[in-house]
Amino acid sequence: MSLKLNDVTVSRGVGPVISNVTLEVTPGEVTTLVGPNGAGKTSLLESLSGVIGISSGSIELDGVDISKMSRRRRSHAGLAHVQQGRMIFPSLTVKENLQLTARTKADMDGALALFPELEKRLDSATVLLSGGEQQMVVLARAFASKPKYILLDEMSLGLAPVVFLRLIPVIEQIAKTGVGVLLVEQFAHLALKIASDALVITSGHVSYHGAADALLTNPELLKKAYLG
Amino acid sequence: MWLNNVVAGLTPGATYAIVGVLLTLMSQLTRVVNFAQVAVGMFGGYISLTLVTKMHLPIFVGVIVGVLVAAILSALLGWIIATWLSEASTSARSAVTVAGLLFLISLAFILFGYRNQPFPTIVAGPLFTLPGGAVVSKVTVVVIVLAIVITVGSWAFLKFTAFGVKLRAVSDRQMAAELLGLNVKMLNVSVWFVTGAIAGITVALVGPSASNDYVTLSSIVIPGAAAALVGAFKRMDLALIGGLAIGAIQGLFAGFPNLLIVRDWVPIIFIILFLLWNQRKEVWDVAR
Ligand SMILES: Nc1ncnc2c1ncn2[C@@H]1O[C@H](COP(=O)(O)OP(=O)(O)OP(=O)(O)O)[C@@H](O)[C@H]1O
Ligand SMILES: [Mg+2]
Repeated sequence: MSLKLNDVTVSRGVGPVISNVTLEVTPGEVTTLVGPNGAGKTSLLESLSGVIGISSGSIELDGVDISKMSRRRRSHAGLAHVQQGRMIFPSLTVKENLQLTARTKADMDGALALFPELEKRLDSATVLLSGGEQQMVVLARAFASKPKYILLDEMSLGLAPVVFLRLIPVIEQIAKTGVGVLLVEQFAHLALKIASDALVITSGHVSYHGAADALLTNPELLKKAYLG
Repeated sequence: MWLNNVVAGLTPGATYAIVGVLLTLMSQLTRVVNFAQVAVGMFGGYISLTLVTKMHLPIFVGVIVGVLVAAILSALLGWIIATWLSEASTSARSAVTVAGLLFLISLAFILFGYRNQPFPTIVAGPLFTLPGGAVVSKVTVVVIVLAIVITVGSWAFLKFTAFGVKLRAVSDRQMAAELLGLNVKMLNVSVWFVTGAIAGITVALVGPSASNDYVTLSSIVIPGAAAALVGAFKRMDLALIGGLAIGAIQGLFAGFPNLLIVRDWVPIIFIILFLLWNQRKEVWDVAR
């Protein structure tokens, strides 16, 4: 049981932006993916969820090859992708955003339990919320879809570190419910702290793959991996 | 006298209003300016006509089939666009509807011939007379009521139903909606189906009292677009008012024989005024 990328290459415009990457996301754990700008982190997540196609290799979700599936079917198979940027639906209220994925009242309550502060904003237009609150809505919405695996792309972008600190324990909490989390983050230290596994990716190649602790306790290793 | 003319302009006005509201919905929900919006209704109208006159079916059966044909043709066009141009620009998607418009007109010539027959009448006769002597016909009232019902109904549907919420989500961010597992194609095609059906119903109602040759009827999309522009292709309420206003002004001009020619220019003048006004706002924005 895992979400697997087997020897995947992704091409975009001029050439490959992901080259022969293999990785595995385990249920109940956070896998953190870091790397410099333009390394291909977003492209990697996008190939997992089907935003872009892969040119070779395969993607497996709990043993099922999903590489040819539509985005919708991958979502139904249990994959949630929180894209880079604020992926709210601005014309929808907070409640409507959550209702898109919550099939039952229990799903809705479970999502709101992550961020009780959203309760009193349920009927506000999402566009009127602060950046941090918007990311809460996006994360809660993804969780309400009861995914098996969740891909998070730089949720901290444009947020003050204190605001992002509010999201970190929730991401950890989501993993504790049995969801496999693939976390892409610029704030490497915060993201590595809650992760078991870590990968460093530079210009489309994996330059480190191992325990998150090792990177955290050995800054030299992290630096070396970043330099490729 | 002039009131009579204004009232006479309200039937076409309400028709423009309906088309304007449909175009607004299409533009908001499916990212397309649908030039074939009325053409599908025209085609459905001729299907009804054929069923009633050649196959001697009852009028209501003919109309129902015609409306269904309009809806299915519209859905088919929507399906083509959703399948092959799902991530294309609005202009590329809209270009396909121009092709659809031309195709339907030429197919109508081939299937239904070059000589037009009037449509069978569904609603006819006067309803009441205003104090000044202006006669209000049943069709006028029915079409105005229909225009209002469509506007309010669409608004309420989008606001209060789960299906409507999904449509708005797709309209906001198609990709994010797909990633949440929404069936974007089905949602899109259903909008095409419903707006096609409404176009069919509208043509069935006003077709009998208008010049119904293929081109003239399909071209109602132009004053309809002028109405939609009044609401900037965003607001259905303004499209409704815009359509009625264009019709009323056209009717007013019809009262002055010298100005008759101006009548056909009213929608174009509305379009130009809108573009100028829009331009002015942009300049103003830049100045800030
Ligand atoms: N839509 C696109 N078309 C063509 N090339 C693209 C596109 N998006 C990204 N790229 C290229 O793909 C490469 C990887 O980009 P990607 O966005 O995946 O990196 P990233 O690691 O997520 O960067 P960042 O940290 O800035 O988000 C870059 O060289 C980028 O220029
Ligand atoms: Mg990125």
